[in-house]
Amino acid sequence: MNSRTFAIALLFFMLPGQAVGDDADIEALVAELEQVKGRLAELEQLRQRVRTLEARLEEANRTATSGEMDRSDVALASDSTAPEPEPPAIDIGGALRFTTFANGSVKGQRGKSGLDLFRLSADGSIDNILLSAEYRFYPFMDTIHHGWLGYKFDNESQLQAGITRVPFGILPYASHNFWFGVPYYLGLSDDYDLGVKYVLPNGPWNLQLAFFKNSELSNSGDLGRYSYDVVSAGTARNEETNQFNARVAYTFGEGTTCSHEVGVSGQWSELYNVDTEKRGDMWAAATHLDTRCGRWNFQLEAAQYDHNPVNPAGVGANRIEVGAFESIYEIAPGGTVGIANVAYNFPLSGDILDQLTCYNDYSVLYKDGGGDDSILNTTGCAIGIGPLFIYADLINANNMVFFGNGSLADGGEDDWDTRLNLNIGYYW
Amino acid sequence: MNIRLTIAAALFGLLATDAAPAESSPETRELTVVSWGGAYTRSQIRGFVRRFERERGIDVEMIDYTGGIEEIRSQVRAWNVKWDVVDLELFDAVRACEEGLLVKIDPSSLPPAPDGTAADRDFLDGSLLPCAVGNIAWATVIAFDPEAVERAPRSLKDFFDIRRFPGNRGLRRTPKTNLEWALIADGVEPDRVYSVLDTDKGVDRAFRMLDRIKPAIRWWAHGEDAVRLLETGQVTMTSAYNGRIDTANGDGASYEILWDNHVRFRDAWGIPKNGENIEAALDFVRFASSTESLAQQANFINYGPLRRSSLEDLPAELLARLPTSESNLSRGFDTDAAWWSEHIQDLQVRFEHWIERPFQVPRDWPSR
Repeated sequence: MNSRTFAIALLFFMLPGQAVGDDADIEALVAELEQVKGRLAELEQLRQRVRTLEARLEEANRTATSGEMDRSDVALASDSTAPEPEPPAIDIGGALRFTTFANGSVKGQRGKSGLDLFRLSADGSIDNILLSAEYRFYPFMDTIHHGWLGYKFDNESQLQAGITRVPFGILPYASHNFWFGVPYYLGLSDDYDLGVKYVLPNGPWNLQLAFFKNSELSNSGDLGRYSYDVVSAGTARNEETNQFNARVAYTFGEGTTCSHEVGVSGQWSELYNVDTEKRGDMWAAATHLDTRCGRWNFQLEAAQYDHNPVNPAGVGANRIEVGAFESIYEIAPGGTVGIANVAYNFPLSGDILDQLTCYNDYSVLYKDGGGDDSILNTTGCAIGIGPLFIYADLINANNMVFFGNGSLADGGEDDWDTRLNLNIGYYW
Repeated sequence: MNIRLTIAAALFGLLATDAAPAESSPETRELTVVSWGGAYTRSQIRGFVRRFERERGIDVEMIDYTGGIEEIRSQVRAWNVKWDVVDLELFDAVRACEEGLLVKIDPSSLPPAPDGTAADRDFLDGSLLPCAVGNIAWATVIAFDPEAVERAPRSLKDFFDIRRFPGNRGLRRTPKTNLEWALIADGVEPDRVYSVLDTDKGVDRAFRMLDRIKPAIRWWAHGEDAVRLLETGQVTMTSAYNGRIDTANGDGASYEILWDNHVRFRDAWGIPKNGENIEAALDFVRFASSTESLAQQANFINYGPLRRSSLEDLPAELLARLPTSESNLSRGFDTDAAWWSEHIQDLQVRFEHWIERPFQVPRDWPSR
């Protein structure tokens, strides 16, 4: 309480009080008043002392925290932007998504009208130790999306161990739309397996080397997984093991408004047949171009792959079964994949939309053994509104799995199927 | 007299004594002066604070802060003023003045130049406010490492030309200066910048220009960060405070400053109202803004005195590095503190939105 406040309190205390009637009372009050004055003086001295100590403490704190602070360090205080608090080392995130679609039949389980998924994730680093993990709950299954621990070296390279993304083709996605493109359904894009991966960025170069012991789940027959792998849940009963990946990319015009990433990728793995207990193999190779010029993005990729399983007698070598999302289907054992995507990011000035990116993603599979090509062409827009992220896609598919009687293996039907898909997600 | 009234009168007397601002400055033993800390405060201490203490017999307690007027507002409104004098950014001084938080300062009370020129004619235009006295000017300039660029930029337009001058750019994360620079690089004359920014179209135009270099921008917040961006090769050129670049060069670096269209900011002394040492504070402001004091301070930091007479005796080599030197004055312009005080809140929000919104098609979307 400062002296003024104290005096006011005393005054209010005195005024309504009993009248004072004799000299003794007066003398007592005057003496008391003198005491109060003395006390006020002491309080004032104390206040000055506290003020000095506070100033010194503030100075000491500043010296300890900021070292030499230059006048130039006039921060953003006058811009009404207070310094942001230190972000937590590990960021816990998640998403709640709903999806709906129209005009088309769905044989698989990758989304139905209603809840799409609920997921939780953790990403961050403590010193040089890196962590990234995501677990997903779908209405029909729950599974790990990825989960790895890493170490970041002084040269910015990092080693990741766990269930991590396979470095192949255009990264992180060889598409813009929610339903991906053909490579995803062949296990050649956004694929996650269990192993170690080394990532070395070096100026315009980016090198990734990886070894995967097997696919993301130890049980190769478990279809409750996010990314497509060769699985042992069907009649051929093969599983991926001992997979090697190498991907190198070079970016022209890095740091400019028009950059072009070109890259090549290679993949080789064993295909272990559970019944014959023999090892076949598979390989894949790709070359890609990912151009970001102004607000445009052009993606081109060409890939080839081949599977050589050692199936039991009576099971043809042309039977390659891949699975995920609690479903399984056949793909052509070998083929050529083509991707041609274009996207445009619109300028925005209002307060509502944070992102509006529209695109057309085209992908095709030419099957080595003949048969109708499988084609996916998706036109749509991705819309960001604060924490909401919406995909609105018009998908046209020809002989594509999950669309009518389409198939990624031989057979199927040469018929176009159209679907309108809307996915609304709340991300945090 | 009723005894109760007697006591009340005595207490009122006590109150009056306590409440009266200590314009009884002859009794002032200590003055609290608030400034920006570090090398800047040291330049003030060495330039004139110690001399003031010796000559006036008053201890000056220097306290650091990081700008803004919130604390001043709080102290003044609570009638609990602990800061006697504050070194304000001109932008903040305008706001504080408009809010009635500062004591009026009569320019005629300021010391004249040694040749007798009155203070209001000696100070650079716009340096004297009704309740604040300008002291120094600092500048946001473009700095680059000549060894890291294929060819040296010669103008502000080159900063925005990534095709001819490839490489990342460092910019302070604030709309101030960046919007002005964007318009100038797009062809707007510096003296028309604020009238263009007054319109929505003008602001849109500035952001469109910033769009052109957005993918190459690396943001910084503190002056030291800008130098670090150059040191680590993360950018080929950056906006920076001129004093920081000079300090880095003094430590062995060899960065060059592009003075073309540099933006000058000014600081000013202000005295919060309702203080206890107003007379002494006024005396300090008069002392600190004298020709000699400002010239002395410039010897310890490369920020330009706002009095013409302070520049006269400074060595030519030092003058060339000051934003207020004759040669540099014509190559830059003053930030419009009044304009920014009116628009900063809206533009800051839009600016942050603009930063968060991707220009190019993003690589990392929410995983599907």
